[in-house]
This record gives sequence, structure tokens and C-alpha cells, in this order.
Amino acid sequence: MIPPQFEYFRPASLPEALALLSTYADDAKVLAGGQSLISLLKLRLANPKYLIDLGGIGGLNYIRKETDGQAERIAMGAMTTYAEIKGSSLLQSRCPLLPQTASVVGDVQVRNLGTLGGSLAHADPAGDMPAAILALGAELKAVGPKGERWIKAEDFFLGFYATALSPHEILTEIRVPLSAKRKSAYIKAARRPSDFALVGIAVCLEAGQGGTCERIAVGVTGVTDKPYRAKSLEAKLKGKKLDRETIEAAAPAVTEGVDVIGNIHASADFRSHLARVYLYRTIQAASQS
Amino acid sequence: MHRIKVTINGKEYEQEVEPRLLLVHFIREKARLTGTHVGCDTGNCGACTILFNGKLIKSCLTLAVQANHAQITTIEGLAANGLHPVQDAFLEKFGLQCGYCTPGMILNACYLLQSNPQPSEAEIREALEGNLCMCTGYQHIIDAIRYAAERMKQSGTVQL
Amino acid sequence: MMDFDQLFVTRNWVGKPVRRNEDVRFVKGEGRYVDDLAMDCAQVAILRSIFAHARVKRIDVSRAAAMKGVLAVVTGPEVAGQTKPIAPRAITKPATQFVMASEKVRYVGEPIAAVVAEDRYLAEDALDLIDVDYEPLPAVVRIEDALRADAPLLFDEAASNVLLDDTLEHGDIKRAYQEADLVIKEKFHVHRYSSTPLENWAMIARHDKASDSFVVWANDQQPGRSVVNVCNTLQIPTNRFRLIVPDSGGGFGIKLAIWPYMVILCLLAKKVNKPVKWIQTRREHLLGGTHAPDCQVELELPMKKDGTILGLSMKDYENDGSFVHTAGIYGLIKFATLVGCYNIKATRAQMLSIATNKGPTVQNRGVGKPTMIFVLERAMDIAAKQLGLDPAEIRFRNFVQPEQMPYTTPSGEIYESGNYPECLRKALALSHYEELKKQQAEMRKQGRYLGIGISAGIEPGTSNLGYYYTSRGIPEYTGNAEGAIVGIDYDGNANVIVGSVDTGQGHATTIAQVVSDMLGISPERVSVDNQLDSLISPFLGHSGAYSNKFNDVDLGAVIRATEKIRNKMLTIAAHALQSDVADLKLNNGTIYSAKDNSKKVSFREIAALAYKKILYLPEGLEPGLKEIAYYKNPMAKLPNKENFNVQLTHSNSVHVVAVEVDVETGEIAFRKYVIVHDCGNQVNPAIVDGMTIGSTVHGIGGVLLEEFVYDEDGQLLTTTFMDYMKPVAAGLPQFELGHMYSPCPYTLLGTKSAGEGGAIGSLAAVANAVEDALSPFGVKVTSLPLSPEKVVRAIRETKVI
Repeated sequence: MIPPQFEYFRPASLPEALALLSTYADDAKVLAGGQSLISLLKLRLANPKYLIDLGGIGGLNYIRKETDGQAERIAMGAMTTYAEIKGSSLLQSRCPLLPQTASVVGDVQVRNLGTLGGSLAHADPAGDMPAAILALGAELKAVGPKGERWIKAEDFFLGFYATALSPHEILTEIRVPLSAKRKSAYIKAARRPSDFALVGIAVCLEAGQGGTCERIAVGVTGVTDKPYRAKSLEAKLKGKKLDRETIEAAAPAVTEGVDVIGNIHASADFRSHLARVYLYRTIQAASQS
Repeated sequence: MHRIKVTINGKEYEQEVEPRLLLVHFIREKARLTGTHVGCDTGNCGACTILFNGKLIKSCLTLAVQANHAQITTIEGLAANGLHPVQDAFLEKFGLQCGYCTPGMILNACYLLQSNPQPSEAEIREALEGNLCMCTGYQHIIDAIRYAAERMKQSGTVQL
Repeated sequence: MMDFDQLFVTRNWVGKPVRRNEDVRFVKGEGRYVDDLAMDCAQVAILRSIFAHARVKRIDVSRAAAMKGVLAVVTGPEVAGQTKPIAPRAITKPATQFVMASEKVRYVGEPIAAVVAEDRYLAEDALDLIDVDYEPLPAVVRIEDALRADAPLLFDEAASNVLLDDTLEHGDIKRAYQEADLVIKEKFHVHRYSSTPLENWAMIARHDKASDSFVVWANDQQPGRSVVNVCNTLQIPTNRFRLIVPDSGGGFGIKLAIWPYMVILCLLAKKVNKPVKWIQTRREHLLGGTHAPDCQVELELPMKKDGTILGLSMKDYENDGSFVHTAGIYGLIKFATLVGCYNIKATRAQMLSIATNKGPTVQNRGVGKPTMIFVLERAMDIAAKQLGLDPAEIRFRNFVQPEQMPYTTPSGEIYESGNYPECLRKALALSHYEELKKQQAEMRKQGRYLGIGISAGIEPGTSNLGYYYTSRGIPEYTGNAEGAIVGIDYDGNANVIVGSVDTGQGHATTIAQVVSDMLGISPERVSVDNQLDSLISPFLGHSGAYSNKFNDVDLGAVIRATEKIRNKMLTIAAHALQSDVADLKLNNGTIYSAKDNSKKVSFREIAALAYKKILYLPEGLEPGLKEIAYYKNPMAKLPNKENFNVQLTHSNSVHVVAVEVDVETGEIAFRKYVIVHDCGNQVNPAIVDGMTIGSTVHGIGGVLLEEFVYDEDGQLLTTTFMDYMKPVAAGLPQFELGHMYSPCPYTLLGTKSAGEGGAIGSLAAVANAVEDALSPFGVKVTSLPLSPEKVVRAIRETKVI
């Protein structure tokens, strides 16, 4: 299992990377941590003529808190690794969903090289980080030849390994709003801990007056061709008291309007079932977080 | 072809390589260090595990060109003379049978003990997620890592 | 069993957990596996069929052959023209298959061409340049598809997809049915899985032009047979072929039939006049690196109301895929444990080997016996439930009793020793069985589902080769044996070579322990060369690492050779010391007179006499200190349908497992895992423990995670370790072990098989625990694996897994 032949570039700056990308766009692949892409190359499921390695570009690896007027947010460079997210004390105290999610991606070795940006741009339909990013209402910065733009997480994932990034753009930063009231959890069903999610549910919620749920956001992965936000479900739960009956009554909406995939690891029916079961479990875990 | 310079176990290797050359093949075939093994195609088995700039990684999921200027430790570089306490613990606790997964397991254990000198059984099991062993059922490997932790605590050994 | 006072001069090493002397090189990364050998090799890549069943109309290799860096290409028709077909072992129908497909492909992954190039990167690139025209044929995937009257035929010459169909009856099975109060009937299905050693198949072949001979380095598990097979297939005399087996990264049976690829490599090496290397990829391994067959077993147990089993009737369909060499052996070897631990007096077994368009099947750890014990131990629980008996109780009522040992089963299998009831009692005590039952009741009140599973199994060892010929007639191999050479070098240290190979079992250490205690030296003074070299090693057709034969015939040969060398040293010492041999003792590398301590001579001095000062040797004694011995198990009977023994040692064990099932998600979590086993005397208990646990995890992987999934076109959907899921450390239980030691009277050390047992007992134990956990839902387990989806579906709808 050997990768096909390709030409390799290791640009030292973002403009240089963008220039290469605009030259070779359709035949090029961007290499971040490589933990998904190199497997695909070896299996010859990806056959790029050009590989553009972002590893030589400095300044894409950071986790910091930013303030925008009253609002606080976290900004993360696209080349930040899962291990760095998992180990970040800033995230652990202010946005624990990210380290919690990062800690269940792959294994130790994969987390040491795999990056947040790589995971999102790769858009594996069963990736863990996308679910968290969706539930957190993150925004993603895409930089292209015409400058930069911000894409909402919910608009980012378009289908099987397809995103809103154009072939000329590079994902450089992920921005997550902070909220002191937010409770969160991510739980995935997987045959073994390091496997891709059969179903992964990320929940962020804020409690309102009298124990009702004031805000809720649910990111779902593993279920269909792309990670998604379960908006109709959120609408059913918002403003309600999140007891078991309410959640179970609303739960079928977690896959509403979604073409649930079936494969050797789980049929479509079983995935839908797991999504409902894990929805309840994740909401419960989030409310107790 | 790309010229790369890689330091493995303190020794510098400079070579012209094809961009598609996997780091594991660079280590095994260019540097002729055959303790790093290949057990699968997809980064699932961990037999090719090495330390890359101090971080535990799988050398089959990395290109040799990405390792330009990197500092690498393979199993051969763990102990210049004699045995590292983790290696000795694997002998003492029968933490191996066929030995094929062993280099990856030992490097994984060393990396774990660096950040967590007294891991629980559950923490060890979690740390070994990316390393498959087909022979032992893992139990003696876990025993070996706990034994190494205990011994290193007593002797105050610096892990790497 | 030998008298240990006669056999050993010290008791310092045998029976102790002596550190493995192999391990120093392995922990330092200095193992020498095939791919580690420093040789300048060209690399081979193999083109494999993308169809499960198709005619190969044309193979055009011209573009590949013209590629820069490519040295040679060989195709199936070319290989078939230069080789004999693969020799079948067990099947009775004619079926012609070559080591490379020529006219027809029969499974996805079957080799159809091979490329040699300067490196492996180029070799793989060249595969993309080979054009093959296939004419796809309908694929036969499932057993029931293969049995249909209008089923496409895998082998036209066989005129059927059933390549073996034989029925053997022992005891009065009709009477068993007549006297029965009830008959337990169930149909079971066990899926395909494999032990997948971490090192894939690997080999290097070199051709020497002057002598027109070959040397092959390969991680072969049964080199004795491989030499025969390669030479026969290549039609060359044995002296033109030398096989060397260096370190091997695990075997478990999966490397027992790698020889067809050696044939391909020899042809390539000859073609390019350079050593050629082939390192199998994991994808190739999973596609065609051999599986255990999936099978369907219809089992009937006629029994009395009190739970006494009167007979056993079985119809066994093995989906043997497409490899004629080993097709058919899975049914027959079940006779080694057809009646399990039970005193069942009559049996009838019909065995069918079915050819399909699935991948090849070869002996996987336990070979058929995991399935046999699974169906039997499942049926025991089903019977217990029907009769209102505790699962432990129905087993106690049927066990072969210790006073019946040695016990002969209806077909002639001899259980040498053991105390099966005591083994279960110990396991129940160690697992706190009664406590577990209370805990189960408590947890159910909280809506949690704990299940307890028991399985009692026989773990046979030392195959009486030729058993698989029982339906064919005269076997080429019978019995079992191994060879060993033991020498004393100039320094008075011992060295040992055996005909067997090691795939991780610590043979070198175990052998050193035995030799040390026999010669009165420490194991550091005993070097054991693990590398097999067919030019030098004392091998037989039986030689290899399989069927737990090591503790029996391998050590037997070592002991016999060591006795010879000890006797020779005593003869030399007696002459030098002018004493009687009867008065001499061995201690710490010297031989001294028990009558006069001052009269002594060191091994080193004896070696000097034997190798250098040869004129001082006793009259007529040959110089030198090296002895060869072959040892065969004394119990093996010739195969005949009335009275035969498939295997020659029989360990036993009980597994008690507690699992908790999450009834919403179908996930199964271990809460307890106890194994009490009895493999007779143990030479190195730590090695035995390691193999017991590792073997059990093979079974657990098979029950819970691993499955070769084929679609209806015969495409394998699990070709990576992402999809073919092996157990990882997280999620496995911490095993608690208990031991019994019933010595085997028919092996020299009283040892029995150790290594396959866990893989045999664990399937039923886990399945029984899961069914027990789900008993409030009325779920019955008749198939494997127990995937979460099947569990949830059974709870909610089907009530059957």
C-alpha cells in the first residue's frame, strides 16, 4: 500500500500556499496533519498530482481568547492538533466541549498529528470535531486569492467529504463564541473507542428560568453524508423542561429530513435508533456538566 | 526528488527521497533501522510508532519529506546500553510473545509515563488504543507498564 | 510420563516463570523478521482478481513490462504451465487449482499476475498498468447459494460445490434417540474471522543459476510440509530447495499455507536472476491471507429429563471458500472434541465442505473446535433452560468423571487425564458464581442487565496428521513427531536446534529450561537457535508450530536428544574418571563420582576429549558431542473410520464470564472473566498464562468485533483494520486465572496443549453470558458475532441473535 506519485510543495507562508493552490487547484490536495489523507493516498483512494503541505507555515497553530466588545470568544489556528486542544487549560475551563471531543478522536498518535482544520476541511461524515463545532456555533475563516471570508459551521459541511471551501481556499482559523451559561457534552457510539462514530452527538445548552432550556444546539455526526445541526429538534426542545419524556418525544426529529446511511457497521435503522438513544444521553450529560 | 535531513537516534541521515516515500520506509530502508515495523496499511496497528520531535506518532501516516529537520527516536534509540526500565519491565512481566508489536508498545508506554508517571489500568488501556497486539491479549503488557512505572518511581529514572 | 528423578538432575528451571531469552532482541527492536533481513532484493507486487467469480479472457502485461524499473512480470497461465496444481488434503471430489489463477478466478483477491520491480513503490505502480479482461460469472457466496441445484459451479470437474460429504457414526445413536425423553435441536451459524498475526506473510526467494536451486526465507509455520509442497508443485527434487524461517511475527495457523506464494516467488527469482521479496500488505492478508470458514451447524442432543445426554448428532456445513489444499479439514478435526467434556456414548456427524467464491480458509487458532465447543456449550445452556436446571448443574450431570480417565470417546479420541467437575467447581468459586447471581438479581431491579456465562471445553493438541484423509483413503502423513539436535560445544555449553519454528511461543526459553534441568546447568548456558533451516534443522513432514504439539513432541525430541548427549558425556566421564557410569552425577556443568567427590570432570574438559583429544576417548566411541533425536507421540492410531484419534493430547478449561448488556445500545461490557484451565504440567507458567489470555482474546474478538463481511457479489467489505475490527486494550476484561495440573500420562513431561484453549472456550462463554443477560427479553443466541445491532434487534423484534 503505497501512495501514488505526486509533486510536493511545502510553502513557507500562506500567500505562497494560496498561490500554489490557485495554480494547481483541481489537481492539488492540501496536507495538514495527514492522519486521514495519507491513508487515502496509500489506499489510492486519493490521487492528487500535487500535495501542498501546510506544515511549513508558521502562525496557524494557536488557541487564544479574544474579546469583541462585550463578547468573548476562542480563536484556534487551523493547524492546532487534537492533542493541543485536549491539553489546553484555557479550553478546559472555558470551552470544555472541545477538549472532551478532541480526546475521543482516533488514538494518541493520531491526536498528536491530526489537526482541527484538517478534520473540518476533510469533512469525514463521521468526524467528531465537526459535531462539536456545529453545536458551538463556530465560524470558520477561509482565506483565498480574493481575501478572507467567514463561514458559519452550519453552512460549512455540504456532503460526503465536501465543504463550502472553494478549491482555491485554505481554512485558517476556527472561532467559537464563549458563554458562561453554556453546558455541553459530546458522546459517540463506536465499536471501539478509537473508531469513527457510528453516531456522535454534541449538545450545547443554556438553562433559563425555572429549569427550562433557553438555548440548545445539537451537532450530529456519523448519521448521514455530512455532519449537521439538528435544527428542527432544537426547535422542539427550546423553552421546554428537558425531562426524559420531552426529549424522547422530540428525539425522532434528530434525524428529521436526513437520509440516514447504512453500512456494514450499522444499518440506517440502527443508526437512527442510536441517534435517539444518544441524544437523550448527551443532553443528560450536558445538563450535568 | 527532495533532499531531506533527518536525525534518528542522534544520527543524521541526509538523502534524496521521492515525496511519496513514507517515513516508515525511510527509517527501515534508508536508515536501515528495522525495529520499526509495518503491520497494516491504514494507521490502525501502531507497529510503526516512533517519537517525532518528542511526540508519539505513526511513521506510516507520515511522509519522509515531512520529517525534514525532525528529531526522531525509534526503539533502537531508547537505550544506548543495556535496557531502558520499560524494556526491562516487558521482559519481567512477559509483555510480549512474537515481539512484532513490541517496539511500538514500548515507545507508547514511555510516552505515556512521561506525562503520567503513575497511570491507572484504565489510563494504560486508553493510551494503548492505537497499538494492536495479536498475541498477548494486552494483559501482560499492562502489567509491564505498571511495573515499569513502579520501578521508575522508586529509582527516580528520567524516562527518556 | 517419565520419572522426573530419572529425567532431571536439578529442578531449578522447569515449572518456573523463567524470563524469555528471546525477548532481549525483541524489546530492543533487534528481531530479525523476513523484511528485516539485509539483502539486496527486487520487490514483488501481486495483481489480484477484482471479481469473485470470472473467466480470465486475456491478460495484457505489455505496458507493465515496459515500465521503467520493472524487471519481470508473470501471469497465471505462465505459472500454470510450469507447475502442478495444488494438492488437496481432505476433499474427495476432483478440483483443480493452481497457485495463480489461470483461466478462472474464484475469489476477490486471487492472484492472477505478479510484477518484480526495483522497489516496492514501482512494483505497485506497475500493477495499474496490467490490463485484464474478465468475463464475470455469477458469484456463489453463502452456503445455501452453493447448495442450490442450479448453483454455478466453482469447479466444473467436481460437478458439485460440495467437495466433501461424509458421515461417521460411532456408538448406538439410534438407541440414544429411542431412549431419549427429549431432543434438543438447534441450528447455529458462526461467521468468518481470523487471528491475523501482526506481521503479514513475508518471503524472499533466491535462485542459484549454477545449481538451479532455490533458497527461500519465509515466515512459514509448517516448514516440513511446505518443503514437500513447494518441491512437488515446482516439480523439483528436494535438494534443489532450501527453506529458512527467521523470526516470525505471530502465526495462529494463519501462516500454515503460505507455500503457494513461495512457488510464485521461486519462478520470479529464476526469471530475474536476483533475490525477490514479497511482503504481503494487510489488505492482501485480509482478502486472501486465509480465514476460518463460516459455517452452519445443525446439532441434536437426545437426552433424558434429568439432563443426561445420550447422544450427539451433527450436520456441519463449512463454507471453505476457494482453496482446495485445506478445504474439508474443519469438519473432521471437530472429532477431537465432538463430545466436549461429556460422557456422551453415541455420535453421528455429517461433514460437508462447500466451495464458494469467498477467500481461502486455512487452520485458524483452534481449527473448528471453537465452533464445536460453541455449539455444544450453547446447546447445553438451551437444554438447561428447557429442563429448569442451572447451567452449572447440567454440566456436572454429564461430565466425564476423573475415575474414567483415560477416557475414550465413541470415535476413539483418548482424553488422557483431567478432573472436569473439579475444574468447574474451581471456576465457580473463583468467579463467586453465587454472588454474581445475587448481583444479577439486584441489578435487574435497577433495569441493568448482567449475564453470567459458563463454558467447559476441551483444548486438544498434537494433531494426528492424516486425520483429514479419513474420507480419502491412504494418508501421506500419519501420527505426529518432531526432531531435535542437541550439542555440547567446546566450552561445555549446550546448543539446540529443532525442526519446529517459533511464532511467539517462547520455545527457546522453554527448551532451555528443560535442557538445563537435564544437564544441571543454567539456561544462560543453553542456546537455542529459533531459525529453521531445512538444510540443517532436523525436520520432518510434521515439523512446525501448530496444534499445540510443542509441549508434546517438540520437547520429546529435545529430551531424547539431550538424553543421548548426557549418556555420551557420562560414558566419556566414566572413562576419564575410571568410574562406573552408575556412580556418576551431574552438577553445575561437571560430572563427578558420587562415591568420591574429588573425582570430577567439567563439561568443558569432556568437550575437549570429544572434540580435540580424541585418542583419550573410550575404545569405539565416536568423537564429537552432537546428537539428533526424533520423537513421535506413542498414542497415534492409523486413520480409520471406526476408531481413530484426531488429536493426541487434551487439555480442558472452564470459562466463567459476566457481561453487562446495555439494552438500548446493544453494547456488551465485561464485568468478570475467569479461566480455570488444566494443561497438565507446565514448563513455564508465565508463558502459559500469556497464551491463555491472548488466545481468549482471539475468541472475544471473534464473538464481538471481527467479521469478514461479503456482499452478494462476493466482494469483501472488510479489507482494512478500520473495518475488520481487532480488539484493543480498552474494553477487554482483566482476566483472572486458576490452574489445575493433571499430568498427561502419554507425554514425557506430563504436559498437554497450551495455546489454543482460550480461543476455543471463549465463544460459548461470552455468548452464554449475553443470552443470560437478555433472558428477561427471551432472546436466544444461535449465531455470531454479537454485534450491538443484532443485540438490539433481537431485544426489540426478532428474539434471536
